[in-house]
Amino acid sequence: MPQGDKHFEHLKLPVNWGVMALVAAVCIFGALSFLGDRREEVSGRSYGNRSGFDAAAGPASNVLATPAHVVGDGANWIDDYFFAVRENRILKKRVQDLSLYRDMYFQQKDISERYEKLLNLRTEPPVEMVTARSVSVSRGPFNNNRLIDAGSNAKIRFGNPVITDQGLVGRVVGVSPKVSRVLLITDVVSRTPIMIARSDARAVMSGDGGEFPRLDFVRGKDAVKKGDQILTSGDGGIFPRGLPVGEAVQGVDKVWRVKLYANRAPIDFVKILLYEDFSQFPEADQVLMTPQITELLPQPAIPQPVTAGAAGAASSAGVASSAAAPVSGAATSAAARPAAPRPAQPRPAQTRPAQTSATQPAQAQTQSAAATPATEVPF
Amino acid sequence: MKTPFIKTPLKVTLDRGVRKGMAQRMIGPLDWIGWPALWVLAGTILLATPMKIFGLYLPEPVLPLALAFSWPLIRPSYIAPLVLALMGAFLDYFWGAPLGFWTLSLMIVYGVTFLLRGYIVGQDMMVITALYGSAVIGFFVLNTLLATIDSGMVPRLISVFEQALATFAAVFLVLWLLETFVHADVRFQ
Repeated sequence: MPQGDKHFEHLKLPVNWGVMALVAAVCIFGALSFLGDRREEVSGRSYGNRSGFDAAAGPASNVLATPAHVVGDGANWIDDYFFAVRENRILKKRVQDLSLYRDMYFQQKDISERYEKLLNLRTEPPVEMVTARSVSVSRGPFNNNRLIDAGSNAKIRFGNPVITDQGLVGRVVGVSPKVSRVLLITDVVSRTPIMIARSDARAVMSGDGGEFPRLDFVRGKDAVKKGDQILTSGDGGIFPRGLPVGEAVQGVDKVWRVKLYANRAPIDFVKILLYEDFSQFPEADQVLMTPQITELLPQPAIPQPVTAGAAGAASSAGVASSAAAPVSGAATSAAARPAAPRPAQPRPAQTRPAQTSATQPAQAQTQSAAATPATEVPF
Repeated sequence: MKTPFIKTPLKVTLDRGVRKGMAQRMIGPLDWIGWPALWVLAGTILLATPMKIFGLYLPEPVLPLALAFSWPLIRPSYIAPLVLALMGAFLDYFWGAPLGFWTLSLMIVYGVTFLLRGYIVGQDMMVITALYGSAVIGFFVLNTLLATIDSGMVPRLISVFEQALATFAAVFLVLWLLETFVHADVRFQ
């Protein structure tokens, strides 16, 4: 033993006290961090400092989740195999029911468009949309988040609503170039302004970490009934109006809750609406400028001077030309005339979404999330 | 056959020898801190896969709680609480919790278990299991309070119970860690 160590050979470091001091220091640090990171206001500032972690966690989750995906796909295959007959019967009945609704939809859509033009109604333009895949989820009672594999490179911004083909999922609260974090509507800090479709009553849907968010601040008697459809109200500009959310159910505690449409199927592929708030609509080049009613009416026929020679030739030939004979032209019904050309409308140069996204979810799922071109949905 | 007794002119002593396991390798921090931490992280990421099997989501246990309960029982260490703090920070970021949420609750469990270490080490397996269950209950009560303070909304207690149950299932990891590492170094008995 070296000479210098003999004075310290009986010195024992107070390990227990040292560890306790370390634990106390970490606890104090954690408490200060917690108090400084209050999330009662969902803002970009409180989530923005995590984009670096999310950018790294997204690909790692994708790789580590591969075995789980393989197992899940296998289980789904077994599930489909054993329940194919029953599911086929259900789907046939559903197709039969939906065929009626499809025909009604086209009729009502046509009528609705006519009314919009006649009333000079300003409707909201289609919202651009991006498809992404969910790569990770936290679904505990304290935090409900998802990581999706599309970010600011796909023009996603803080606050963009996220939906599936079933209904509303949540909103983007963190963005990095290739990965975004979605705050689910079931999270304890989530508050969603909604309306009940039947009564048009307003309420706030508050997440509590469970699968059935509760309805708060419901106004009016019998404003909610079991099975009522819940839609986003658009109040506050957080979400666009009319996104399907779920159905009203009443718990054993007599509290109204929402059975979410998004829980009907696994949330794998999601669509991010590039919607920030209502203020983006009044842009001059975005607003759907419907034409004036006078522009839609047929142009009055302009009387043309009739020459004697021409009249003689026409009568001799026995041909009644509407252009040359204003009287006969006025007597002709509007239906018999060729339709007046519809004035050009400054619609945004975007494709109609119903054919691309809503009716073809399977096709959308095969598309790569990051490389998926933007499509749109009308609201 | 070697006799355990060594006869010397002055006295007879018992030759206990060197334990076979200790003679082969020393248990370092990587064995009882590093690898379990990595396994727990990988398990956490794996169970966060967004998928349903036969209509059910994967469970979401707080696996680092098993380490927060086991590590202080194995031996006092400066490395273990630091690694545990890093794991808490990882959960904060990965699950999108407020910063310090999981770090604080995990460290409180570690600290309390460390204070009671002398009473717990050496107890029967059933007692250890019951004490781990108590730690799980205290942990989730604390988290429920913290979440209520943070959001102003009481989390759904059924969901809390479900996650607590999934976390309690990690008691097998606790028992394995204690069985493997508690008696690995007699200096900490």
